[in-house]
Amino acid sequence: MSRKIEKAVNEFNQQMKPVSLWADAWKRLRRNKMALISLWVVGFYALVAVTAPLFSFLDYRTQVIEHANLPPSLRPAGELVIEKLEARHALIKERVDEGMDSLKPEMERIEADIQKAKDELDTNPVNKKVYIFGTDSLGRDMLSKTIYGARISMMVGLVGTLTAVFVGILIGAISGYIGGWLDNLLMRFVDIMYGLPYMLIVIILMAMFRKEGQSSIVILFVGIALVSWLTIARVVRGQIISLKNSEFVEAARSMGASTGRIIFRHLLPNTIGVIIVFTSLSLPSFIMNESFLSFLGIGVSAPLSSWGSLVSEGANTMELYPWQLLAPAIEMTVFLFFMNFLGDGLRDALDPQSKNRT
Amino acid sequence: MRKSLFVLVAFLAIAGSAFSQDFVVSNGGEPSTLDPALMQDTVSNTFYLALFEGLVQYDPRTSKGIPAMAQSWETSADGLTVTFHLRDAKWSDGTPVTAQDFVYGWLRTLKPETASAYAYMIGMVVKGADAYNAGKGKAEDVGIKAVDSKTFQVQLLGPAPYFVDMTAHSAFAPAPKWAIEKYGDQWTKPSNIVVNGAYILKEWKAQDYILVTKNDKYWDAKNVKLRTIKYLASDNLSTNYKMFKAGAVDWMANGIDLNMIDEILLRKDYQSSAQFATYYLNLNNQRAPFNDVRVRRAFAAAIDKKTLVEKVLKGGQIPTDEFSPPMAGYTPQLGQGYDPATAKKLLAEAGYPDGKGFPTLTYVYNTSTGHKVIAEYVQQQLKTNLNVDIVLQNMEFKTLIELRNKHDFTIARDGWVGDYLDPNTMLELFITDSGNNSGDHRNPAFDKLMEDARMAKGDARMKMLEQAEKILLKDDQAIIPLYHYVNQDMIDTSKWGGWFANPIGYHPPKFIYKK
Amino acid sequence: MSRYIIRRFLSLIPTIFIIITLSFFLIRFAPGGPFSSEKNVPEQVLQNLMRKYHMDEPMWRQYLRYMGDVLRGDLGPSFRYRDNTVNELIGQSLPNSMLLGTIALLLASLVGIGVGIISALKQNHWQDYTVMSIAVVGISVPLFVIGPVLQLVFAMKLHWLPLSGWINSRDGFRTLIMPALTLSFPYFAYIARLSRASLLEILRSDYVRTARAKGLAEPTVIWKHVLKGGLLPVVSYLGPAFSGIITGSIVIESVFAIPGVGRIFVQSALNRDYTLIMGEVIVYSMILVLMNFVVDIVYGFLDPRISYN
Repeated sequence: MSRKIEKAVNEFNQQMKPVSLWADAWKRLRRNKMALISLWVVGFYALVAVTAPLFSFLDYRTQVIEHANLPPSLRPAGELVIEKLEARHALIKERVDEGMDSLKPEMERIEADIQKAKDELDTNPVNKKVYIFGTDSLGRDMLSKTIYGARISMMVGLVGTLTAVFVGILIGAISGYIGGWLDNLLMRFVDIMYGLPYMLIVIILMAMFRKEGQSSIVILFVGIALVSWLTIARVVRGQIISLKNSEFVEAARSMGASTGRIIFRHLLPNTIGVIIVFTSLSLPSFIMNESFLSFLGIGVSAPLSSWGSLVSEGANTMELYPWQLLAPAIEMTVFLFFMNFLGDGLRDALDPQSKNRT
Repeated sequence: MRKSLFVLVAFLAIAGSAFSQDFVVSNGGEPSTLDPALMQDTVSNTFYLALFEGLVQYDPRTSKGIPAMAQSWETSADGLTVTFHLRDAKWSDGTPVTAQDFVYGWLRTLKPETASAYAYMIGMVVKGADAYNAGKGKAEDVGIKAVDSKTFQVQLLGPAPYFVDMTAHSAFAPAPKWAIEKYGDQWTKPSNIVVNGAYILKEWKAQDYILVTKNDKYWDAKNVKLRTIKYLASDNLSTNYKMFKAGAVDWMANGIDLNMIDEILLRKDYQSSAQFATYYLNLNNQRAPFNDVRVRRAFAAAIDKKTLVEKVLKGGQIPTDEFSPPMAGYTPQLGQGYDPATAKKLLAEAGYPDGKGFPTLTYVYNTSTGHKVIAEYVQQQLKTNLNVDIVLQNMEFKTLIELRNKHDFTIARDGWVGDYLDPNTMLELFITDSGNNSGDHRNPAFDKLMEDARMAKGDARMKMLEQAEKILLKDDQAIIPLYHYVNQDMIDTSKWGGWFANPIGYHPPKFIYKK
Repeated sequence: MSRYIIRRFLSLIPTIFIIITLSFFLIRFAPGGPFSSEKNVPEQVLQNLMRKYHMDEPMWRQYLRYMGDVLRGDLGPSFRYRDNTVNELIGQSLPNSMLLGTIALLLASLVGIGVGIISALKQNHWQDYTVMSIAVVGISVPLFVIGPVLQLVFAMKLHWLPLSGWINSRDGFRTLIMPALTLSFPYFAYIARLSRASLLEILRSDYVRTARAKGLAEPTVIWKHVLKGGLLPVVSYLGPAFSGIITGSIVIESVFAIPGVGRIFVQSALNRDYTLIMGEVIVYSMILVLMNFVVDIVYGFLDPRISYN
C-alpha cells in the first residue's frame, strides 16, 4: 500500500507500521471487552447448534401426548402432569357445579387420566423426563426444539448475510463508482427486484422444485438470497458516490491505481462501518423472512422448525402457555443482541480511521 | 323541572332499551360479494341471511326449510313438479315480490354471463337448467315458470327429496330486475341495493365493517327484534376473541381462536355442534403404494383418532371411521378402525413387514397450525404403529388445491362440508372423474349405485347410498376419515335468544333477539 | 444537475413498465388460478368465469387488453371481491395505510435520529448502551409479538386504549396510537442504529476535524457538517422503508383490524386475484421508484461531495 495515500487518510502526525489490516483489527477486537464477550456467546451458540445431533437426549420429534403444554421446570414430568390435571380438574368441576353439564364427560376423562398418571408415576420411565424449557402442544421438549431451530435460523442468517455482503457490496460499489448508464441499469434492476411480487416468486419456486419425500432447504437459501442484497446494494452505492470524489480517492487515481484497487482498498474500507451495521440490522429480518417462506412451504418441514416459526407459533399461545413463545424468543433475542455488539466491535476494529492508533 | 327530568329519564330508558337490540358480529372476513347469485363463501352468505329471503328460510334449530317468501307448496304425485304459493311480501322499495322475480333471479344465476359458481346447484335438480348454464340450451327451456304473480312452478329432473330445503340457498334467491338493470355491477352498493329480507344495507366500509338495520317493509317486520347488526370484517381470530371477551362483540361467527381452546372450553358462551362435514386424508388410489388396498387399510388402522380428538384438538370434534355423518334414515358405513395389530399384519401382507422397504412418502397440507398438528400426530402414529417414515410438507392453499386436482400427491389432507343435509352431497365426491375426487377413486359398482340413487326415492334411495359408502370405505378404504368437524361459535345464549347450534351452521338473524 | 434529474426521471418509466410486464406473466405462472377453491366448480361454470374475465383469450391479447386498460387508469374488476373494482378497493384502503405509515415513520425518524445523535456523541457511555439495547430488542422482536402484548396491557388490562379498529366516532384517533407505535418500533430501531453508525464515521472524518480545528463551535460543527453527511445512509434507507410502510403492514393491519391495503395485498396473492395483485404491484412499484428517485436527488443536495456528471 502506498504510504502517501494512507497519509491522506490518516492524521498528519502518525507513525505508520506495516501491519496487515486483519491482524491489526484482531488485535483491537481483543481489547474490546464487549465484543469479546459477544464472540464467546456467539461461539457457544454455534457450538451447541453444530453438535446438537450428537446428543440423543435432544429429541425434538418424539411426542408424549400426556406431557402436552407442561411449563418449564426442573422437576420430573410425571409430577407436573398430575398437578396440571388436578388444576384443570378443579376448574372444570367448578364449571360443572355451576351447571355446565357439557363438561361432565371431560371431567370424567380427566379423573381417569389422573388415576392413570398416578399409577404410572414410578413405573413409566417417560415420567422421569425433565423439561427445563417446558413442552409444546404435542408434548415435545421445547429445549430440543429451540436448539434445532437455532441450527436452521443461524444457517439462514449466515446465507442471508453472505449474499447480502458479497452481492450487495459488489453491485453497490460498481454502480456507485462507475456511475453513468451502468449505475442506472443496475439500480433499475434493483428497483425491479423490489417491485416484483416476492410472494408469488416464492410460490412459483416452491411449486417448481417440490420433490416427493424431500424438504427443500436449497430453495430456501435461494429464496432468502434473492432479496437479501437489495437494500445493502443501494446503501453501499450511496456511500461510494459520496466518497468517490474525496481527496484520498483523487490521490489514488492520480497515482494510477486501478478501479478495482480503488474500490476495494480505498472506498470499501471507508464504508465498512455502515455495511456492518446494516448487516447486523438485517440479520433479524433474514431470520423472520425464513418463517414467511416456511409459511409458503419452502424450507425445512415439520416437525423441524426454525426460531422464526417457533416464535410465530408461540405468539398464538402466549396467553396460555407463555414459555412456548419465551423460550425461542429469548434464545433468539440474546443471539441477535450479541451479534449486534459483535458487529459494533468489528466495526471499530476494522475502521481505517483508527488504524494504528493506540 | 321535575317533570322535564322525568321525561329525560323516560327518554333515556326507551333509548336504552332500543339500543340494546344492537348486535355486533365478528364475521371472520370481508364478504366477496353481496349479490346472492355470486355468493360462494360463508362470510358472504351471512349477508344473504340478513338481506334476502328465498322461497324457504333455514329453520334456526334444524336447518330444514320453513316457509318464507313461499307460504306453502305442493309436490306432484310423481315428485317431479313442485308448485310454490308466494305470500304478500314487499321489496325494500315497496314493490311486491312476485313469482317473476324468482324466475328472473334463478335464470340470472344460471345465465353463463353471470358466471355464478353455485349455478350448478340449480342445474343438479331443475330441468333444462344445466344445459342453459353450459350455453347449450335456452332460457325458455329451463323448467321454471310464473303461473301467475303469486304462483311459481318448478319442473325437476328427478324426485329430489331435498329440493325444497335447497331453495333456502342463495343461488335460489329472487332478484329485483329493475334495480339490477338500472345499476348493473353497482347494484349491491348501499345506495342502490333493493332487498326483500329482514334487514337493509346501511353502510359498507370495505375491510372494516358492514352495518344493516331493520327493514320496515319486511313481511314479518313485527317479529324482527334486532334494530341494527354490525358485521366486523376482521379476520384475526385472536383479536376477535379479545374483542368478544371485552364485550365489544356479541357473536363470533365463522371461526374461533383455536389456540385458546383450553380457556374457551371453560366458557359458557362457547357453542359447539356437530357439523355436516368431515376431515379426512386423501390417499392417491392410483399411485404406489396406495394402489394396494391393504396398504390403505393398514394406514387407516394405524391412526388413533380418538386420542387425536380428545387430547390434541380438544374442540369437541367427533372421531370417525365413516365419511357421511349419521342422519335420520341413514346409517353410515364404517371403514377400518384403529387397530395397531391389524395394521402391522396388513402392511406385512402387502410386502412391507415391520415397514421394511416402504418408500418415504410425503404428506401435503395447507399451512395452518391446526393442520400441522394433525400432520405431526399422524406422522408419529405411523412411525409408532407401522414403523413407516413420512415427510410432511406444508404449502399455501391454492398450491395444495392444484396438486389435489392433478392427483399429484401421495397423501393430502382434505375436508368436505356438505351443501345440504343429505349423504349425496358427501358421497358424490368419489364418483370416477368427479371434479373433487382428488384421491382418484375408481369403482364402477360405486358409480352405478350413486347414479341409481339419483332417480330413486325414500328408503330405497338411502339403502343405495349406504351400499355406496360401504364400497367406498369397507371395500376400498379410498380415504382415511379422521373426524367430523364441529361448528364453533362464541355467543352468550343466556343473553341472546333465537340463536341455536345447528348442523349447517346458518343462523338467520331475524330470529335473534336480546333476552 | 437538472439534466441528470430529467434523465433519471425518464428512466422510471421503463422500470415500471418492466415490473408490470414481468408481474403480469409471473402471476399466471403460479400454481392454481383465481377460481380454484376447496370445492371445485363444475367445468362449465369455470368456462363461464374464464369467459367473463377474458381469461379464455390467448395470453398476449390479455396482456394488451390489460395494458390498454391500465393506460386509461382502469385496473379492472377484482376476481375475488366481485362487487368491487380494483380502483375502488385500493382507493378505499390505501389512504388508511398511508396515514398510519406516515405517522409511524415520522415518529420513527424523529425519535430514531435524535436518539442516534445522542448515542453517537456519547459513544460507549451508558446512554449509548441503553438506547442501542432497546434498538436491538426493537429489531429482534417481531411485530406480531409486540402488537398483541400492547393489546393485552393497554386495552385488556388497563383499558386505556381501544383494542382494535379504525378511526371512528367513539374512539376518534385514539385507535391509531397502538398500531402506529408498534409499526414504528422496528423502523425506529433501524434508524437509530444506522444514524449512530454513520455519525460516528463522520465525527472522525477529516473534514469534521478540520472544522473543529478551525475553531468552529461544537453545535455548528454538528449541524452544518456532521448531520448533513451523517444522515446519508438513513436517507438511503428511508426510500424503500417509506414505500414499504405506507403500502401497509399485513401484521399490524391484521392484529389491529385496520382496513388497509397491506392485508389485501397478501390475501390477493394467496387468492390469485390477478387484477388486484397487479393493481397493488403498480401502486407499490410507482411509489417505490419515485421514492428512490427522490432519495437520489436529496443525496445530491445533502452531500456537497457528490457531483452528477
